[in-house]
Amino acid sequence: MTYDDICQFLYTEASLLDTRRYEEWLELLDDSLSYRMPVRVTRDFDEPDDIVNDMTFFDETKRSLTTRVQRFRTTSAWAENPHSRTRHFVSNIVVEPGTSEDEAKVHSYFLIMRSIRDRADVEQMFGERIDIIRRVNNRLQLVERTIYPDQTVLSMLNLSIFI
Amino acid sequence: MANQAGLDTSMLEGVKDKIRRGLLPQWAFTDSEIFKAEVKSIFAKTWNFLGHESEIEKPGDYVTRWIVHDPVLLLRDQNGQIQAYLNSCAHRGTKLCTADFGNKKTFTCPYHGWTFNLSGDLIGIIAGNKVYGEEMDRSQWSLRKIPRVESYQGMIFGSLDAHAEPLETFLGDMKWYFDIMLGRSDAGMEVRGVPQKWIINTNWKISADNFGGDPYHTAMSHRSTVELGISPKDPMYASYGHQIVLDNGHGINMVTALGGAKVPPYQGLPEDMWPMFARNLSAEQLEVFENTMIIVGNCFPNLSFVSPMHGTGGPDEPLTSFVNFRVWRPVSPTKIEVTSWFMVDKEAPEAFKEASYLSYIGSFGPSGTLEQDDAEIWTRVAEASQGEMAQDKDIHYNNVLNYLMGLDRVEPDESWPGPGVAYPTCYLDAISRAFYEHWVDQLLATADIPANVR
Repeated sequence: MTYDDICQFLYTEASLLDTRRYEEWLELLDDSLSYRMPVRVTRDFDEPDDIVNDMTFFDETKRSLTTRVQRFRTTSAWAENPHSRTRHFVSNIVVEPGTSEDEAKVHSYFLIMRSIRDRADVEQMFGERIDIIRRVNNRLQLVERTIYPDQTVLSMLNLSIFI
Repeated sequence: MANQAGLDTSMLEGVKDKIRRGLLPQWAFTDSEIFKAEVKSIFAKTWNFLGHESEIEKPGDYVTRWIVHDPVLLLRDQNGQIQAYLNSCAHRGTKLCTADFGNKKTFTCPYHGWTFNLSGDLIGIIAGNKVYGEEMDRSQWSLRKIPRVESYQGMIFGSLDAHAEPLETFLGDMKWYFDIMLGRSDAGMEVRGVPQKWIINTNWKISADNFGGDPYHTAMSHRSTVELGISPKDPMYASYGHQIVLDNGHGINMVTALGGAKVPPYQGLPEDMWPMFARNLSAEQLEVFENTMIIVGNCFPNLSFVSPMHGTGGPDEPLTSFVNFRVWRPVSPTKIEVTSWFMVDKEAPEAFKEASYLSYIGSFGPSGTLEQDDAEIWTRVAEASQGEMAQDKDIHYNNVLNYLMGLDRVEPDESWPGPGVAYPTCYLDAISRAFYEHWVDQLLATADIPANVR
């Protein structure tokens, strides 16, 4: 699993999300997937841990993400009907070895720009993701994703998207 | 008073008359003069929810919150007492504490180093006696207290009005229903982690009214969950049960199943906990709770709550209940900051706590499969309420919105065992009409005081 393989995987994933090919995106997810987005908080200077893991915006399995995808395929998921337009910008990719040679721990930055209907204001969200990516049968799979948003108060009205 | 914005008593009386007839002028949502009047006449007078006692359990624990535009430092002092201060240094007004939560013995302002203890006393001044001498009375420069702070069932409220009625009087009959949600267990509730916070471009009344009086929206707004087989196909499904109008603009819906059909008792809470409920609730509260599936309502003005049963998977997944309270903080006429607390019984088994939390994350909050769509729709209401036609103060047919459901058509159910005026359906605008009538009454109460005195 080379650095290029991992970049290609993350960019492909971003493209699938931005084009709402969610069923293909689900195929990139391992059955044991843990997909979490804990809450960022502002702490005092001497308390460096500014993530609260006990509360999240996403705490998902592949099953619950599949339900979310199926909901977007109904005729009445109004948050995405008409759908919003997103760009997932993924950068600053740093790869660490995983627990085996078929596994990598991958840090990446994300910036999501989102346009809703005819609204001129841009919804955005940014932060860092830490992923565990594993090679299974010669394909890369996302095993774990933790999303760390930088905002303590999300400026997005809803998270009818994946990150 | 005929103030320049045209918000005079006769105009507001006209609005009240419309509300009583089930009509709400659309400009009420987004008018900037109305917003200013609300901040002064409602939010500066009423009881505002600040946080839950479990968030500040130990001496020195603090959280920072808002009452509209007033920053609040809420903490537990050395004596274990809850205190709330204006989070603004008494010296030059700097926001004193910028962390969301933590534990401290003192708070030091970064501007000039004035330091305050948990009692709000000014205990340190950089070069104090050299620059101010001994004659400055430091006791005059304590942190400013939020004039009133009181709790009920672990819920801490603050009021900016020293003459506000006692919290329990303000809550009134809502207490009976809060007991069911918050007081059923021996040790009460706990907040998990921290509240989620996010911004929605809407007006606070739109979301408060949605939670308070609008189970009717579920059939259409949340139709996606019907299509998925998670919610029942029956378009009346959220109508069964009672809509209960309470005093002071409060309202609550106790949703059951069709025709009193069997539902999991006590919202599916573990059976081991039932004897505890029997200990803490009256026979009437217990009977109501046993048969209720969904509790949803609003505590005037902007503290909403929902306790439904929901699942995160498909139709074959078990449904789990949760308790969620949220404040719709008005930031501007068309912007709110939502602070949303997930709560669970302290004594519930860990497995239930976890399932309950996952049920909340899956369905409510900004990522929730139900709330995603609410936020989009509330935004659209605000978006479409700002034009000349919606803002036309000459109230005629086409700029009033429809709150007619059940008006003079649905009679109260006298057999309801709880307090309040209970109607035998939740598809009803009775709570909304009462909410807006109370809202306009609060504006009227101060409308005749000249603007420069208010």
